[in-house]
Amino acid sequence: MKRLVQRFFDAQRPRFTEGGRLARLYPFFDAMETVFFAPAHTTGIGPHVRDNLDVKRFMTLVIVCLLPHLFFGMYNVGYQSLTATGRSPDFLPACLIGLKAVLPMVIVTYAVGFFWEILFAAVRRHTISEGLFVTCMLFPLTLPPTTPLWQVAMGITFGIVIGKEVFGGTGRNFLNPALTGRAFLFFAYPVRMSGDAVWTYMGGQAAVDGFSGATPLALAAAAEGQEVVHTVLNQAGYDLWTLFLGRYAGSIGATSTLLCLVGAVALIAMGIASYRTIVGGVLGMLATGALLNLFAGPGTSPWLALNPVYHLVMGGAAFGLAYMATDPVSSPDMESARWLYGFLIGVLTVLIRVFNPAFPEGVMLAILFMNVFAPLLDHFIIKARLKRRMANT
Amino acid sequence: MNTLHVSKGYDLPLTGRPGTDLDVLPRPSRVALLPEHIPFIKPKLLVKEGDAISCGTPLFHDKRHPRVRFLSPGGGIIDAIEFGPRRVIRRVVIRLDETEAAESFQRFEEGQLRQTDRSALVEALLDGGLWPLLHALPFRDYPDPETQPPAIIVSLGDDEPFQADPAVYLAGRQDLFGYGMQVLARLAPQVFVSAPAGAGDALQAVSPWITHTVSGPYPALDPGVFLYRTRRSPADNRTWFVRGQDLLLMAGLLRDGRYPTERIVAIGGPATQRRRHAITRMGAPLKSMAETTAEASVRRVVGGVLRGFTGDADGYLGFHETALNLLPAGDQREFLAFVRPGTRKPSFSRTFLSALNRHRLPMDCNLHGELRPCVACNACMQVCPVEIMPQLTFKSLLADDIEEALAHGLLDCVECGLCSYVCPAKIELCDHFTRAKRRYHQEQTAA
Ligand code: SF4
Ligand code: SF4
Repeated sequence: MKRLVQRFFDAQRPRFTEGGRLARLYPFFDAMETVFFAPAHTTGIGPHVRDNLDVKRFMTLVIVCLLPHLFFGMYNVGYQSLTATGRSPDFLPACLIGLKAVLPMVIVTYAVGFFWEILFAAVRRHTISEGLFVTCMLFPLTLPPTTPLWQVAMGITFGIVIGKEVFGGTGRNFLNPALTGRAFLFFAYPVRMSGDAVWTYMGGQAAVDGFSGATPLALAAAAEGQEVVHTVLNQAGYDLWTLFLGRYAGSIGATSTLLCLVGAVALIAMGIASYRTIVGGVLGMLATGALLNLFAGPGTSPWLALNPVYHLVMGGAAFGLAYMATDPVSSPDMESARWLYGFLIGVLTVLIRVFNPAFPEGVMLAILFMNVFAPLLDHFIIKARLKRRMANT
Repeated sequence: MNTLHVSKGYDLPLTGRPGTDLDVLPRPSRVALLPEHIPFIKPKLLVKEGDAISCGTPLFHDKRHPRVRFLSPGGGIIDAIEFGPRRVIRRVVIRLDETEAAESFQRFEEGQLRQTDRSALVEALLDGGLWPLLHALPFRDYPDPETQPPAIIVSLGDDEPFQADPAVYLAGRQDLFGYGMQVLARLAPQVFVSAPAGAGDALQAVSPWITHTVSGPYPALDPGVFLYRTRRSPADNRTWFVRGQDLLLMAGLLRDGRYPTERIVAIGGPATQRRRHAITRMGAPLKSMAETTAEASVRRVVGGVLRGFTGDADGYLGFHETALNLLPAGDQREFLAFVRPGTRKPSFSRTFLSALNRHRLPMDCNLHGELRPCVACNACMQVCPVEIMPQLTFKSLLADDIEEALAHGLLDCVECGLCSYVCPAKIELCDHFTRAKRRYHQEQTAA
């Protein structure tokens, strides 16, 4: 196996190197080859030894944590599709339907994402950063399963070109590219991206009578004055446990709070995600939810009375906190700023949900908003830190 | 005695620590001086190939301070003067003869040191070629002989993997050390001696002089870290330091009136077969110093594995270095490296199973990755012993904003190399800082 792969790459190399027909695409060749073979580069200057961790492994581990979301998402899309069309939601058929709905979106995302990245890498003459692999995995997981492929292509294009490359590429971007793409679709195609119909993949079948397709977020937002919001959710089958496990209609990969929890714990344990951001975010949501409870009463929005824990398990909040808010490049650099950053994301998520029902998916806007403010948070903390430092000039 | 605990830093879990047994290496046939590896100097040769010289004959001086000269570590004939690119003098090689004539220098009786003029000692150190064993923080250049420091730090022991053990090089030399301390007391109003905590009986003989015991991970024993933790005012930033073994050389010169060349060298690293200490001399050839293990190709690092330089198989020890570490070259490609669980792949992060492996592990010179843009993982910030934020300081340097880099503490950087070591994006942070500091120093001294 190793021999075969090596021979293949050795045979292809001349085409991509100086003088070869595809020399401009060397970054692509390099990205592919280094997936299989860690390069033999050695340290040119001291320190003579280096840590084994590289960006490739760093990003691969994030992808490994995202894969369960992809698989569960496929199953869930199929399951929702089968129940909505009145068929029996068996495991295998559900998986197959989900595969059919989701896989093309993933493939399109990667193909289009790679296209842009290689284009910029070739023009700028740098290598492809593995962050792309994560962006392209995250992006489809945040989409409704019915998103047409051309929109998928538009979204990832926007995310990569506007969210990242115009700022100078990976590492210089201050917005999370996957979320930028997602937000673009939300605002550019509001009809396709919201409403009750988009969250369930029908696969050409008709819905059963009485099927509404409303997500928990939509239901909670629409609950009328006197109704108790929990009752509404429960009646629709959205009890806390279902919401936590994630078997309900929503974005492809973002419904399961359980998987988010597992992924977050794994990322924190490996030191990849900042626990400060995540814990800060959870606290922010709970605190805001609890505070709003105090204002709940007859005549106010039913959202105010929602048990704060529901905020955590509904919609994409957990997914956003675990995988998007923790993107280190678009987070503040300072560890202490990350507490506040996470906390404010939590606060904003709940506030947007409650006070602007047009955007039930508050977490997306909350994170992008805080991405913009991350440098400001850093600025104050760094200033305070440098003030304490004894001058040495 | 004060204790100082440094919490930031990182101990590389590297195998290959040299044992404390001490070999005596046979007398070499050649020794050399490597101007290329003495930072900052602009050498002007005073000899040419074929000249007959004694041990202690000046070979070159520094054009910046012609009083600062570098002497021959042996007597015989100048065998070769080798130049590198842009006429950099790489090395001056001396073929030793049997008799090895030696220059003589002014001697100072121990009892008289107290009455001796400071300037007489400075002159004697300049004449005797050992002035450059003193270093002035923050740049680590040798100090301007015209200046006086607020204090001098004597650092016993260096926790970089792997440097000579003070217990080995101080054994039986406490008198010489005491002599050296008296010299330093004439040079600076205050002298600190820092030693590793927990050395126990090993440093008993010199314990009356120790002012601070220091604990903590590498580079806790670095004089720059010591200064960072103990300085009281910005004026302290110009403190000088001298390494323990170098102080012995200075003391030997002034006490005996001869140019001392004995060096005790640590020989270690995972690719070395017999890891030990050895008595040899300044500028000794690397060739017969260490036997390699079965490794296919090996890198000879003169100095520690984080700060040393790469020596060739037929290279020599430098003026400052007292360690030789052999590492596997690591120049092979690894198949599917990024998905391996990595129980034997050491990492500062917790992304390999080696996080659960408490054993020390071999490391090689592979970069383990490719240069990438910073992913803001903050590992560099977590290890920096002097609380610099390397990723941000690096960005200011990229933007050519030296003022901002200075505000970030660039000059406090002790050039330990840890930030470069941990960086998953393989950014040469430490090298950027070291070079920025050097540029700044050169601009300052030129002005
Ligand atoms: S910035 Fe300097 S002192 Fe800090 S870790 Fe890097 S090399 Fe060491
Ligand atoms: S270790 Fe490297 S990648 Fe991580 S923050 Fe520092 S410079 Fe950036």
